[in-house]
Amino acid sequence: MALKNPYRPYLGTLVGIKDLATNIKLFQVELNDPQEREAFTYRPGQFAFVSAFGVGEAPFSITSSPSRSQVLEFAINRVGTVTSALHRMSEGDVVGIRGPFGNGFPLEEMEGKNIVILGGGIGGAPLRPIIHTVIDNRSKYGKLTILWAARNPSLLIFTDEFDEWRAAPDTELHLTVDRADETWTGNVGLITELLEKVAPSPENAVSITCGPPIMIKFTMLTLKKLGFAPEQMIMTLEAKMKCGIGKCGRCNLGDKFICTDGPVFNYAEVSEFLESF
Amino acid sequence: MKVSTKDDLMAWLDRLAERYTLIAPKDVEGHILYRPVAGSEEIAFDFTKAALSPKEHFLPSTQVILSIERKGEGIELKEPSLERERIIFGIRPCDAKALRVLDALFLEEPIDPYYAERREKTTLIGLACREMGDECFCTSLGGAPDDASDVDLMLTEVEGGYAVQVVTEKGKAIVGDLPLKEVEGSPPKPIVHEEKVPIPELDAWPQHFNDEYWARLADRCLSCRLCTYVCPTCRCFDVRDYPSSDDAIERLRAWDSCLAEGYRRIAGGYNPRPTKMQRLRNRFYCKFYYYPKDFGPVACVGCGRCIINCPVNIDIVEVLRDVATL
Repeated sequence: MALKNPYRPYLGTLVGIKDLATNIKLFQVELNDPQEREAFTYRPGQFAFVSAFGVGEAPFSITSSPSRSQVLEFAINRVGTVTSALHRMSEGDVVGIRGPFGNGFPLEEMEGKNIVILGGGIGGAPLRPIIHTVIDNRSKYGKLTILWAARNPSLLIFTDEFDEWRAAPDTELHLTVDRADETWTGNVGLITELLEKVAPSPENAVSITCGPPIMIKFTMLTLKKLGFAPEQMIMTLEAKMKCGIGKCGRCNLGDKFICTDGPVFNYAEVSEFLESF
Repeated sequence: MKVSTKDDLMAWLDRLAERYTLIAPKDVEGHILYRPVAGSEEIAFDFTKAALSPKEHFLPSTQVILSIERKGEGIELKEPSLERERIIFGIRPCDAKALRVLDALFLEEPIDPYYAERREKTTLIGLACREMGDECFCTSLGGAPDDASDVDLMLTEVEGGYAVQVVTEKGKAIVGDLPLKEVEGSPPKPIVHEEKVPIPELDAWPQHFNDEYWARLADRCLSCRLCTYVCPTCRCFDVRDYPSSDDAIERLRAWDSCLAEGYRRIAGGYNPRPTKMQRLRNRFYCKFYYYPKDFGPVACVGCGRCIINCPVNIDIVEVLRDVATL
C-alpha cells in the first residue's frame, strides 16, 4: 500500500504478548485505524518497523501469516534498547508500525518444489509464515523439511506449533540444540551437522535459511556440499536499518540494499558480500 | 548579457528577504556558512567555497521528522513542515550539482517528503566561481565553475556588477524587480585547472575490491568522519527518539557516517563491517560505484572539501588516480 509519508508509523495496540522462549516474546499488534488495518497487506518474508515511542524504532520480520492472522505478529528478542522497551510494555499499550517493507519470499517460484527450512534461534521468526503458507497450501508444494535449531532448548521458538508442523502431510521437523540441558532428549549439535545427517536432496528443492550470520555462512557451505546450487539457496538477512526505503544507507551489501532489494536474497546474489562488504 | 549593479542587487536581496527566508553565505567566526540572513549586508561575497555546502538546508544535520505527543491513553503524531518559501543565494555550481545527486535518491519512489518539501520550496541563486580552488576538481566530473545547469538563476561577477542568467521558471519568478541593463559581450570565463583527474569507469571498480591498497590507505584513517560531514553528497542518516518534555517526544534524524565504527553493528553486538579498511573502502565504492549503479550520478562533485578537512591527508584525488593506475 502506498504510504504518503513513509516515515510516519501507523498507530497500533498490543493485543497480545506471549512468552516464546528465554528473552523472546511474541507481540500481537492490531492497527488502531480500521482503514489502515484493512489496507495493511503483506507477503511472507516482509518486515516492518515497530516503534516504542520515546525510545525508538527497529525493524522486525513479520512472523504472522497474512492468511492466518488478523493481527500482526512479531517475535522479538530482548537485545537492545528498543527491544528492551518493547519487552517492558503490556497489553493495551500503543506502538507504532511502519511498513511493510522488503521483497518477501519468492512464493510463486517455490511452487511445486521441495522446501528445506533452516532456522537458527530468533532467525526462525521470518520463516514461520513460509511454514504456515506451505502447510495451508499443501498441494502446491513438495516435501517440507524443517530444521529448527537454537543454542539451547530454552531458546527454541514456536515450540507450541511443533506438533502441528509434524502432523502436516509430507512434512518433517528436525530439532537440534548446540548445548542440551537435563530436559533435552533430542539432537545435540550445530544445525550444519544436522543438515548433513538429514541430507535433503537438492533435486527440485529450494532451501530457505535465517539465523545468526555465522550460521548462515556455514549453512551455505554445507548446502553447497549437498549439491545445492547458489540460486536454490535462499536466505533472509537483517541489518541495523533506519528507514526501510533505501535512503538511510545503513544496510548496503555492495550495491544492494537489504531493505529494498532484500531482505530475501539467493546465495548467488550476495555470496561475494557475505564475507566482506 | 544582462547586468545588475551590486547596489541594485543588494537592494533586491533586501526585498526578497522580506518575502522569503533568505539563506546566504555568511562569515560565522571565520567560517563561511549558509545561514538565514536578515538583509544583504550580512552576506559574504568574497569566498571560494563555504566550509559546508547548503546540503544542510535540505538534509539538516539534525531534523525533527515526527513530533510524538502523549494525549491521555493515546498518541498523536505530527509531521513538521516548512513555514516559508526559501531562497538560497550564492550557491556554487558544485554544491548545486550535489543536490541533483541527492535528488536521484531522495526523490526516487518512495519520495522522502522532508527532502522533497525543502527542494520544492527553495529557489537557488547560483554564484559562479571566478577560478577553481586549489583542491577543486569539478571539471573532472562534468561540472564547471560557471555551470548553470542546477540553479534557478545564475550570477557571474562582471565589471560594474553581476551578469544575471535566468535558468528556470522559478528563477524567472523572483527576478522581476531586479533592474537589469543589457551589456555587450558575455561574462568572463573562469580560470580552471589544466589537468583533469581520471575518474575510473564503473566497470573498473569491482576488480580492485580485494586489493591490499585499501588496507594501506585505511591504516592512517582516524574514523573521524569529517569527510562525510563536509561532503555535499553524503546522505547516510540515523533516526532516534528524544523526549522534548514529559509528554512529548521528538523523532530526529541526524547525519551519520559509514566510517563510524558502530555504523553497521546490530543489537546483540555483531558488526558485519568491523574493520576500518572495509568502512573506508565502502565510502569510495559508494561514491563511484554503488551510487551510480543504483541511482545514476556519481556521488562526488569535486568540491574538494574532504581533501581540505582530512586530518591525515587521505586525498580523494589521489585515490582516484591510484584506482585508475592500479
